[in-house]
Amino acid sequence: MDSVSAQPHPDAPLLRPIERPARNFYLIVGILLAIILYTGFVYLRQILFGLGVTGMAQPVTWGFYIINFVFFIGISHAGTLISAILRLSKAEWRRPITRMAEVITAIVLAIGGLHPIIDLGRPDRMSHLFFNGRLQSPLLWDITSITAYFTASTVYLYIPLIPDIAILRDRGVKPRWLYEFLSWGWQGTERQHKVLNRAMNLLMVIVIPIAVSVHTIISFIFSMTVQPGWHSTIFGPYFVVGAIFSGIAAILVLMIVFRKIFRLEGYLKHIHFNYLSILLLIMSLLWFYFTFSEYLTGYYGHEPNEMRVFWYKFTGDFAPYFWAMVSFNFFLPVLLLSNRKTRTIPGILIASLSVIIGMWLERLIIIVPSLANPRLPYPTGIYIPTHTEWMLFIGGISVFILGYMLFARFFPVISIWEIEEGRKESAKIVTERISSYMPGPEPTSAGE
Amino acid sequence: MTMNKKMIEILQIASISLIWVLFTGIAVWIVNLIKESIRLHDAPDASVAISIVAILIFLVLASVLTYVFIGLRKGRKEEKETETNPVPG
Repeated sequence: MDSVSAQPHPDAPLLRPIERPARNFYLIVGILLAIILYTGFVYLRQILFGLGVTGMAQPVTWGFYIINFVFFIGISHAGTLISAILRLSKAEWRRPITRMAEVITAIVLAIGGLHPIIDLGRPDRMSHLFFNGRLQSPLLWDITSITAYFTASTVYLYIPLIPDIAILRDRGVKPRWLYEFLSWGWQGTERQHKVLNRAMNLLMVIVIPIAVSVHTIISFIFSMTVQPGWHSTIFGPYFVVGAIFSGIAAILVLMIVFRKIFRLEGYLKHIHFNYLSILLLIMSLLWFYFTFSEYLTGYYGHEPNEMRVFWYKFTGDFAPYFWAMVSFNFFLPVLLLSNRKTRTIPGILIASLSVIIGMWLERLIIIVPSLANPRLPYPTGIYIPTHTEWMLFIGGISVFILGYMLFARFFPVISIWEIEEGRKESAKIVTERISSYMPGPEPTSAGE
Repeated sequence: MTMNKKMIEILQIASISLIWVLFTGIAVWIVNLIKESIRLHDAPDASVAISIVAILIFLVLASVLTYVFIGLRKGRKEEKETETNPVPG
């Protein structure tokens, strides 16, 4: 790229993927586009022939699409929620992590949000929601909350990106008009910083309740019914905990991949992985506590329909998936992350991948067994996903990888200006903060 | 590909307008759903309560974006003014 400024930048490794993209970038993009194109063809076939091409039938009328919907929306909690919590708590180590996390949210929410439409045999009927929707329906709450979360997350990703876009504009990176347009004339003046910080502070506070509401409302789709295994008061927090849990695992996997590909060892240090993996360990314990409470309550009630689902999961057809879920979400991560010797980057990668698989299995365990064993006197249902459902799952993952690659091709995945700010101010801010904790006279209000 | 500054400014103003068009669209949709629930006597109180929260969130988000876009442009102008008219002394 000849127009790029020859000026060496102190954070050159962060600009390298944009200024000098890897040779195999276009090859990978091509492969992903081919997969996505084929997925589009498979979906078109589903529209033409109806949901009969999927494994869904009575009584199991929700399959992979709704499992993936809950799973993807769960992963989305990685970003904005965690980033907002880290920013609000002024965790200085957050600086190289927040943007990576925020990008996950924006991309995954778009993919997850499309799944209920894919699940419709007649997607054109979505238009009924606009004219005849019922605001009392949890499905409509979902649409509203996901749209609000997507909008808030995109805004929350974009606003802190503006100073970095201006860096790319000033370095003459192409397409220059795009950076010029998106940077809104950023010059780094005091007033511009004030505007940016004020907006970010407000968004941090707004985004947290929206994120929590999204997964709580998703849980309402299940818990507002009287289906055995779904009608539970703790489903809201259980889903939120699971979402944050899978989200942290997704961030860790991406951090490890980007560190390796873009050689970001100088930015993503072992301490970042250590802090986040300890958070993952805590979430694993919390997830186990919620799972234990959920099943113990059901078992203690011993309601016949509830017990049919219970034994179906514990010893029946779904037992392999159920015990795999417990192993992937609890035993393996706890084993790897509680020991300092195995809390290495390969160990953290294995634990994170294990949690991602385990949390996908959890969504499967929640949705299918309850539908397969309804209160009505049906024989136990069977659900075997077909090529169509597998392909749409693979297609969804491909869209995520492609979306992330394209973002990394045009924008820095680590916030350059926040790193610069950290270099200049972090030490001073942290020293002042520590001295304010220490015993001694209370600082005056002017000093605060 | 190059695009002159005037064109970029027009695009930026258009994007602020688009944000408000989207917000108005969402608000009109939600108000339409409330009307529908009143017409059908289908829990209108719950519909109004949910709608107030939803419309407010979108309103705040649209306002924040507008504040940032206008604030950044104003910040830039002030800088230019001080550059062209340096403070004497």
